Amino acid sequence: MTSNGMSKKSHKPTPKSEHGTTRSYVIGFVLSLIFTVIPYYLVTNKTIAGSALLATILGIAVLQMFIQIFFFLHLGRGPKPFYNVVFFFATAGIIVIVIGASLFIMNNLYHNMSPGEVVRKQAQDEGISQVGGAQTGACQGNKDNHIVVIKDGVASPAHTQANRCDTLTFLNQDKGKREMVFGPHPNYHSYGGEDMVVLDDGRPETITLNETGGFMFHDHLYPNLNGHLTVAP
Amino acid sequence: MTHHVETHEEAANDRVMFGFWVYLMTDLLMFAILFAVYAVLHGNTMGGPAGRDLFKPELALAETLILLTSSFTAGIGMIAARRGIKRQVLVWFGITFLLGLAFLGIELFEFAEFIHEGHTMTVNAFLSSFFVLVGTHGLHITSGLLWLAILLAFITKRGLTKANVRKLALLSLFWHFLDIVWIFIFTVVYLRAFV
Repeated sequence: MTSNGMSKKSHKPTPKSEHGTTRSYVIGFVLSLIFTVIPYYLVTNKTIAGSALLATILGIAVLQMFIQIFFFLHLGRGPKPFYNVVFFFATAGIIVIVIGASLFIMNNLYHNMSPGEVVRKQAQDEGISQVGGAQTGACQGNKDNHIVVIKDGVASPAHTQANRCDTLTFLNQDKGKREMVFGPHPNYHSYGGEDMVVLDDGRPETITLNETGGFMFHDHLYPNLNGHLTVAP
Repeated sequence: MTHHVETHEEAANDRVMFGFWVYLMTDLLMFAILFAVYAVLHGNTMGGPAGRDLFKPELALAETLILLTSSFTAGIGMIAARRGIKRQVLVWFGITFLLGLAFLGIELFEFAEFIHEGHTMTVNAFLSSFFVLVGTHGLHITSGLLWLAILLAFITKRGLTKANVRKLALLSLFWHFLDIVWIFIFTVVYLRAFV
């Protein structure tokens, strides 16, 4: 391949083709410089964006890897280090499986187990407003407090008008357990990550109103015990 | 067809090279796992600053160019070693050593700044995986520099013996390998943060 080793077939132990020549190092160096500056330029100037940019810079990194393997490591050149090449590609195969499968499995976990909801809920509980760059809708510092008293199987007031980030306290003055859920019976949905507000008798329970809109709430066990809630932005 | 007549020494060299190559490939597997961990966890910042808020792309570019140049000077030094020109070997590998030191200095400066600002590896999964991945590479660079310093001392004292040239060949293989791993750290950790 290289002009040096092939042209003179002497028996002297002069540099063999599997070793580099100055020329091969210079070519490898210049190409590597180019393929370092290009992705840096693309990223800092945002010429393209999103997944196209990501794919481009990853592609250039792989290209630069092969350039260096060829011009710096001289892998596969010269007659002997054949098993090195085999071993390299076996390793490359394992790496593709390890990285590809890890990402595949973890992405599937995110989709199937929906930990996004869990993370959001935890973040809201701890008043963290951002997770991984996404708003959690957590309220920083509460405003007014509204109280709904449950007595003799009736919630009063029947309608509560509130602003976002106010708090709502349910107070159960009846004997027994109340399980307050949101939405009209029998379809429930969670409110602000809260699936159900469980009230033991006499104990108040407070939630933060971090979702705007109109909502119904009712006792999961006694749908007639219900009320309405409007949260203004 | 063309049968290569191997001397005992060449065969021994080949075995050493292959053994070292096997080590490099297993090391590469370890890096692959650390990359996979980083790829999975890099978004988990627990509300803290993400990579794009912390990294300075120009610093990463400087590190990349320095390490690439050191890989190149190691290659040129290796040619001098095979030709038996001791003075050139010391000069080229001396430059490689200084560039490696500069690289390490920038990396430690970056780490020190993060830690000083409270972004330590115990804060969140993103920072844990970042420090482990980049720090492992930095440890490799550190051990490479120690190895190079010792080897250069040997060469200064005993000259370019066959054993020394062979060790130098292994070291430059190691150094090129670390540069290739760094390309991916540069791309996946630093550049990707700004995509």
